Amino acid sequence: MPIDTVTIREPDYGPRERLYLRELVRGLLITSRHFFRNLFGERDLNSEVGERQGANLIATVSYPEERRAYPPGYRGMHRLVPREDGKPRCVACYMCATVCPAQCIYIEAGEYDQEGIEKYPTRFEIDELRCIVCGFCVEACPKDAIRMDTGTHSPAVLSRPLATFDKEALLKGPAVSHPTDAITYGKSRRGEPLKH
Amino acid sequence: MSSTMSHPQNQAMEPVGIGAGALTGHDVHREAPKGPQGLPPSNFYAPFRPKEIAGAVALIGYLVVLCAVWAAMMIFGDWAIVGLFRVLGASLPAAELWGNAIANILFVVLAFVMLLATLLTMGERKWSAFIQDRIGPNRARLPGLKNHAFWGIPHILADVGKMMTKEEVVPAMGNQTLFHLAPAIAFAPAVILFAVIPLSPDFTLWGEHLHIGVAPHLNQGLLYIFAIASIGVLGTSLGGWASNNKYGLLGAMRASAQMISYEVTLGLTLVGLMLIFGTLRLDSMMSQQTGHLFGFLPNWGVFYQPLAIVAYFAAASAEIKRAPFDLPEGDSEIVGYFIEYSGLKFGIYMIGEFVEVVVFAGLFTTLFFGGYHLPWGEGWLAGHLGPTWLAGLQVLTFLAKTVFFCWLSLAVRWTYPRFRYDQVMNLGWKLLLPASIANVALTGVVILAGGMHGAAIMGIVELVILLAWVVGAVGVRRSGKETLLPTESAAASEHG
Ligand code: SF4
Ligand code: SF4
Repeated sequence: MPIDTVTIREPDYGPRERLYLRELVRGLLITSRHFFRNLFGERDLNSEVGERQGANLIATVSYPEERRAYPPGYRGMHRLVPREDGKPRCVACYMCATVCPAQCIYIEAGEYDQEGIEKYPTRFEIDELRCIVCGFCVEACPKDAIRMDTGTHSPAVLSRPLATFDKEALLKGPAVSHPTDAITYGKSRRGEPLKH
Repeated sequence: MSSTMSHPQNQAMEPVGIGAGALTGHDVHREAPKGPQGLPPSNFYAPFRPKEIAGAVALIGYLVVLCAVWAAMMIFGDWAIVGLFRVLGASLPAAELWGNAIANILFVVLAFVMLLATLLTMGERKWSAFIQDRIGPNRARLPGLKNHAFWGIPHILADVGKMMTKEEVVPAMGNQTLFHLAPAIAFAPAVILFAVIPLSPDFTLWGEHLHIGVAPHLNQGLLYIFAIASIGVLGTSLGGWASNNKYGLLGAMRASAQMISYEVTLGLTLVGLMLIFGTLRLDSMMSQQTGHLFGFLPNWGVFYQPLAIVAYFAAASAEIKRAPFDLPEGDSEIVGYFIEYSGLKFGIYMIGEFVEVVVFAGLFTTLFFGGYHLPWGEGWLAGHLGPTWLAGLQVLTFLAKTVFFCWLSLAVRWTYPRFRYDQVMNLGWKLLLPASIANVALTGVVILAGGMHGAAIMGIVELVILLAWVVGAVGVRRSGKETLLPTESAAASEHG
């Protein structure tokens, strides 16, 4: 199939275009319009830049002072989801540690001595510096015990060890319970949750 | 997610298929982008709100007050120094001569030109930010005032500190003497150029005869300007040559070729003014720019020589090597004649550029826009306030006009892209130079035939033609739609 070709002629500039006086003035008017709008207009600090009001056209969000909210679904800092009683939902199954491509989750499992209760993590550490924020751990977890819904990113730290967060630091946020929890976390025969 | 992210180009491609438009991308430009990315922000056409208008008025008020403080400082400083000479026992003419000269060097050249140039270094960064919808520098803070950015002015202090404490690298193989001398040669003419500009008429304050402006009574005012302005090229070309750097040399070559070319135009544009005012003295040019044309138009150079204004503005921009004529620097191609300079010497080149901006804004004001004259109401003010107060107001007027033309110069710099070198030469030699020669001839003929009045009529006719041209009332309209780029219209006509 032959390809369409386009011959682009040299544009035929008359003296008016050559002198481009009019275009110079128009350009100057555009820049001065922006200048005066931004000079006199009051800057709206709405973090949704597209919804800013007023004459000012500056779209900057000066980051540390002004912040945009992260969108829903943003993969932020991890958290270990607590149960209603405040203990981690995690059952130390090592699924997240296994799937983690960055190998940055370290878990040591312990076992409750009471009957009918699964394992729990005695240590659960995530090295946020190695984490590539892929979210695989969240998807791998069978117990919905690890989430990245904190809406914050990992903070800046002054030395590397400080970026490794342990179980106590990770265990935060609203508790979550599921109807199937009784099977996993065990109930006494009388239907009450066991005391750990 | 993917549906909202679709690129405008994809949207244009899909319906067209592999047609010519899609291949060359012309359809893409013709349609406004549809996605949310390409649309202007929602407030793009929003009017100013009342409180913003109030803020604007307040800001302009601040500026006027600032200029008034500046003017008062000049006037009272001048008076105090002349008085000091009198107290020290100098004779009256000597006291007035030396007192005025020294006071004006201190207050006009140092306190006004240097201070304004320093402020312009920040003004350029801040104003360019506003033109480009950015915030601009606002991080440096004064100690104890951590919550106010002061429009970036503390950055000036930070910059000065940086320049002064930086290591100064001197190229070993360069010419040492010239390398150290060149910044001074570039800087000095820029500063002393301001000497002949009058900022006020002669006036009397508490018994002392004063004038603001170092040497406005110089007989050869305009010749002095040409002479001194042409020294500036030495500083740049020597600096580029002495640093033994090929880029530096390239910048120096460009600078010397460009500055010498445009000096011709610069001189010729002012010849028309010499013909009209019949003098080289700037102060007598000033005294002729008072009064009104036809009873209402201010009697300013702009109404006699509108063509010269356009040519002069272009030539002056080329002369001070700022965009669109910043080829000698050309930051993105060759760093320019100061590539080997660092520390305070680089700072001197840098501030010298802004001093030149101030000086040429001052010259522009003086020659074409009535200098220190108020547009209207001077006679009434002189009658009601007396000449001394009027002189104060005139200094204020001069400062305001100069600041405005500094702003215009910076806005031009941030509006137009840099010329290519052959374009600069074509513009200079083939357009501006013939235009300015024609202007001189035309002015001469008109003055011979019709005197000042004829010159004014010619100027106003020229001005009307220029304005009409700009507004688009005359001149042949390009066939096809205005919005198409030239290449697009060619392609569109090719395909019907
Ligand atoms: S987000 Fe990815 S890299 Fe980070 S801890 Fe989870 S699985 Fe590992
Ligand atoms: S996958 Fe979930 S339950 Fe298993 S160890 Fe990781 S966090 Fe705990």
